[in-house]
Amino acid sequence: MTNKEKYKKAFSAVRPSDEFTLEVEKMKKIKKQHFFKTMVASIAVCVLFMASATVAYAMDVGGIQRTIQLWIHGDCTNVTIQFDGDGTYNMEYTDADGNEQFTGGGGVEIAPDGRTIPLSEEELMEHLMMPDVTYEDDGSVWVYWFDQKVDITDKFVDGVCYVKLVKDEETMYVTVKYKGGYAAGPHKFTDPDSWGCE
Amino acid sequence: MKPSVEMLIEKYRNNLYVMAFNVCKNAQDAEDVVQDTFIQYWSYKKEFESEQHIRAWLIRVVINKAKNKNNTFFRRNSLPLEDYIQTLTFESEESSELFEAVMNLPEKYRIVIHLFYYEDYSVNEIADILKLTQSNVKVRLSRGRLLLRNTLKEGWEYDK
Repeated sequence: MTNKEKYKKAFSAVRPSDEFTLEVEKMKKIKKQHFFKTMVASIAVCVLFMASATVAYAMDVGGIQRTIQLWIHGDCTNVTIQFDGDGTYNMEYTDADGNEQFTGGGGVEIAPDGRTIPLSEEELMEHLMMPDVTYEDDGSVWVYWFDQKVDITDKFVDGVCYVKLVKDEETMYVTVKYKGGYAAGPHKFTDPDSWGCE
Repeated sequence: MKPSVEMLIEKYRNNLYVMAFNVCKNAQDAEDVVQDTFIQYWSYKKEFESEQHIRAWLIRVVINKAKNKNNTFFRRNSLPLEDYIQTLTFESEESSELFEAVMNLPEKYRIVIHLFYYEDYSVNEIADILKLTQSNVKVRLSRGRLLLRNTLKEGWEYDK
């Protein structure tokens, strides 16, 4: 038996569950059910500005679709972003290498009584303006914010790195736990023990 | 061309799920990724050149979404991979060992290995899907094979 035959035989055991439905009509109605916590939301891009944003109501898929300009890994990029109205967004863009990219995210606020409240579009936009941390295949770690790009690969002490970013009058304090999320704020560094993976 | 999403679901549902699982190592996340991928296709406005183009696009989107899923801070309370493996029915012990060995590979090797051995893509096609150079794909394929060989011994033959 060839390696390919062995491989296919082994992975033939993997199948989606019986409950998994992909009926199109149901797909339209399905709401995404999992979010990540607001404070440590991992966002893929930084927003520089919303230049003459075009607003269109995408009636076929629901939600509001916009075309905006974002700084993505240091490149000013046209992005089509759709807010689904349930605290999530999806966006697509062509990166600096000409590749189509699709990404998304979302968030909730945890109310004092434990309820989860989906973030509004404005709140999501605020998060999109936060710094982004990227782990590259070569092992390097980078922090991006607007047009700033900082290599923090060798800056971790006990798995934590603190980065202060300054842009004009604005300052951003970023706490990065190596492959464990990050938090950013305008006033002080966030205690890395204040969040953790589930 | 833009075939109906229903037709593509019928045709690619399982393969995309296996691809997503390969990256996510989590059944529920993999189902979410496949669902999101078909929604992406459904809302995608452009035409495709061919069936191969569609298949490659779907696989690329699944991989990107699965990686995004891995990078999000919040993940489902998931069944550990070892426990999940116990729920699968393998035809032989050798298949079980191979599956576990693959799933323990680093992600970048695992993806390339899967595209080559499961999806039957060539090095050139993998390079195109992953937007890597051919030499980079060859290196990942070679290192992945070596790791599998080291783990599985005679259970994994030397490939060219």
